[in-house]
Amino acid sequence: MALRIEKTLKVNEPIEKVWAFLSDPRKVATCVPGAKITEQIDEKTYKGSISVKVGPIVTDYKGEIQIVRLDAANHEIELLGKGQDVRGRGSAAMNMTGKLRSDDRMTEMTSVSEVNVVGILAQMGARVITEVSNIMFGEFTKNFQAKLQHEDEAPSSGEGKPISATSLAWEAGKRLFHRDS
Amino acid sequence: MIAKTSAEVGGMGHSLKRKEDLRFIRGKGNYVDDVNLPNMVYGHLVRSPYAHARLKSINIEKAKALPGVLAVITGEDLAKANLAWMPTLFFDKQMVLATGKVLFQSQEVAFVVAEDRYTAADAAELVDVEYEELPVLVDPHKSLDPSSPILRDDREQKSNHIFHWEVGDKQATDKAFQGADVKARVDAVFQRCHPAPLETCGCVADHNPATGRLTIYLTSQAPHAHRTLFALVGGIPENNIRVISPDIGGGFGNKVPIYPGYVCAVVASLTLGRPVKWIESRSENLQSTGFARDYHMTAELAASKDGKIQALRVKTLADHGAFNAAAQPTKFPAGLFSVCTGAYDYPSAFCEVDGVYTNKAPGGIAYRCSFRVTEAAYLIERAVDVLAQELKIDPADLRRKNFIAPSKFPYKSALGWTYDSGNYEPAMKLALDKVGYAELRKEQEEKRQKGELMGIGISSFVEIVGAGPSHTFDIAGIKMFDSCEIRIHPTGKGICRMGTKSQGQGHETTYAQIVAQELGIPAADITVEEGDTDTAPYGLGTYASRSTPVSGAATAMAARKIREKAKKIAAHLLECSEADLEWEPGKFFVKGTPSKTKTIQEIAFAAYTNHPQGMEAGLEAVDYYDPPNLTFPFGTYVCVVDIDKGTGEVKVRRFVAVDDCGNIINPMIVDGQVHGGLTEGLGIAFMQLIDYDENGNVQGGSFMDYLLPTAVETPHWETDKTCTPSPHHPFGAKGVGESPNVGSPAAFVNAVVDALSHLGVKHIDMPITPWKVWTILKEKGVVS
Repeated sequence: MALRIEKTLKVNEPIEKVWAFLSDPRKVATCVPGAKITEQIDEKTYKGSISVKVGPIVTDYKGEIQIVRLDAANHEIELLGKGQDVRGRGSAAMNMTGKLRSDDRMTEMTSVSEVNVVGILAQMGARVITEVSNIMFGEFTKNFQAKLQHEDEAPSSGEGKPISATSLAWEAGKRLFHRDS
Repeated sequence: MIAKTSAEVGGMGHSLKRKEDLRFIRGKGNYVDDVNLPNMVYGHLVRSPYAHARLKSINIEKAKALPGVLAVITGEDLAKANLAWMPTLFFDKQMVLATGKVLFQSQEVAFVVAEDRYTAADAAELVDVEYEELPVLVDPHKSLDPSSPILRDDREQKSNHIFHWEVGDKQATDKAFQGADVKARVDAVFQRCHPAPLETCGCVADHNPATGRLTIYLTSQAPHAHRTLFALVGGIPENNIRVISPDIGGGFGNKVPIYPGYVCAVVASLTLGRPVKWIESRSENLQSTGFARDYHMTAELAASKDGKIQALRVKTLADHGAFNAAAQPTKFPAGLFSVCTGAYDYPSAFCEVDGVYTNKAPGGIAYRCSFRVTEAAYLIERAVDVLAQELKIDPADLRRKNFIAPSKFPYKSALGWTYDSGNYEPAMKLALDKVGYAELRKEQEEKRQKGELMGIGISSFVEIVGAGPSHTFDIAGIKMFDSCEIRIHPTGKGICRMGTKSQGQGHETTYAQIVAQELGIPAADITVEEGDTDTAPYGLGTYASRSTPVSGAATAMAARKIREKAKKIAAHLLECSEADLEWEPGKFFVKGTPSKTKTIQEIAFAAYTNHPQGMEAGLEAVDYYDPPNLTFPFGTYVCVVDIDKGTGEVKVRRFVAVDDCGNIINPMIVDGQVHGGLTEGLGIAFMQLIDYDENGNVQGGSFMDYLLPTAVETPHWETDKTCTPSPHHPFGAKGVGESPNVGSPAAFVNAVVDALSHLGVKHIDMPITPWKVWTILKEKGVVS
């Protein structure tokens, strides 16, 4: 299944500081629930993994993330991620573009992600996957803001933890029923 | 009419309780997964997550290293034994384990064997398969598009086209359309659905290296045919193969094909010399085994102004998935779809079907249906309703006007079938009277004034079952006769062995009732045994409602052979000539002297203790019955629905089912079959779809998405009967198991469309979900 996710978030930090963080996949990965960078292959390519739980389905994708475009002048980044489930049950690919814009003293980040999922997650999770991505983005935002704030304090070594399956399914369910349409 | 035996004998027409239920309701059934053999090991399939991908490599080292793992078999291994591919039941071949590429999601890629199920499942996750994704084709309408990928590069024909099939007089049909006053057209999809039997597929393959014998406990609707196919494909001498179908928890056509898991288990057992069990999960069953339908159909009717149908034209696209694994008679690429002329009398018809490949699971099988009859009945019954709407004629009146008159039977249809018997109008009248049709139409009018939505749907279906006469019907070359062997023991009890195999139809009861009817031996004294190819006579199995029309007939014929011999023995015992004897169920007596009697039990004893000199001892017979024609059961179903405008939910208020299946063996079992089939029809009409997204991900691959009706959704079924015996069947029966599944989808859909017809709605594709209805109501401005 293919889905397109557009998100906007604001952080109370100057644009250059946000850009320095965003343009480093190693740092960004620490904000994504369940994700980690395991190895840097070259300047633009990293190896990593992400774990996604939807209800009873756990998928552990292992793969590569590549910086396709890095435009410091316009504060734009394009990332291409591809991974395969370690148990052979499918794959996921994501093309994400992120753009920063200075807004007063705040920085606004807009991201557009095209995600393509094949395999068990697409079979079982199709109905809740948009909600799951919303929740994941919510977690990301929280982590992103917190990490940026504390960046000056100590270098981060931790990795994001996958959110628990039950809370995710519960949150997704709640949101499904509260959707206006 | 069939003379009724006493309740004690329990011949035809008695609602005997089902003998088999004694063990089923006590949890004492013996299904394949109940078979546990000493030293048995377990298989688990590695399946493809991709719908279309090239296999770059398979690394089995990690899996093999897991303690408890005995073997990992890949397509390359099978290729060495020439078993990577196997023939399907319809002139195609299918991969057992993938080599080169995979063609549908959940396709079988490797088979892991381990000491226990858990280890096998864990090891399957360790098999490292590297794929290269290829463009995916899911829409059958794009299969023939030049820009679409060619899926089957193993074929000589570089195209996704499988077959073109046509029947009827195109010229005459086109001419009738040119001159017609009125034309009606419906584009209807009979969606991909799945029989979803409660028991999934599985087997235990047990090769004994000491004896060379291979015993396969198999979820099989056709054990003999499967034995022959294992012999032909696997090269194992047929006398060394024994297929045992123990209790089967529902088949509905799903257990007619041979699946890769079976072949892998056999190969593993041959390799390891140990029994290998393989049992599918629910999702594996839904995602990879025989689906049904997936017919994308157009029907057009030409008619006069006053509603006389003149011609039918049908064009259909059949989506067979990655391999044409249809299980149907060899001469019929679209099964018996050409019965789509239905219950109506018109001179011209033309029907064409094209089969195509897509990146979906292979099929399609006949789900409780005689090979595409469900699609045919649905199409014509929908088309007639659309014509009625076009003509502004009541759909019941239009049907009445066009029914084949009873005097015209046997009736030759425009597409070449000879309907054995029929009397359609009384069945419809009974159904309409029972439901109170005239009052319902009035109520509907009043409700419409108030803005409420209710609808009445009629389906006057005709079936074609009991395949079939050997001059026309075979599966993979084997003629579609069927068999029964009866042995009467010295004490007057007996055993019947059959070429068929019950999956819940109640054969152990009904076949015994046929013997009871023919010989007067109480049904309770007759054991019916099926499913063991070492003991049962050869037969083609149970599907296509063929058990009663074919094996039931064989039972009666074998019993009559026994009666003939019994007569000779009776004449010997009573010291009279055979011509002086008269029969009434259970005994021969001398004409005019009823006191000079020998019961069938006395005769049976004499057959072993005092038989005439020169006659063979014993009392047994076998019959291989080759039916002269098919049988054509029919009926009218009427469905009444109310629609909740707020939610789009359709509630079935009433459902009246009048069936005519000729003479009935066991009325209770017939009712049970009708209840079950109607409930399946309800699921198909309102809930079920095996859908795929653009990447070929299955969107109906578990019971989370593929819904089965429960007692909560199922309405009260009202059943009734008319009786028009088959003139060519030994006791006038026609078969009923499939009628409710064949006839009901159109009744449900016609009812919903009828409820919305005043809004200009002419057709809604199944499954009619609340969302679909609500969307229509919104489009039509009924709700905001």
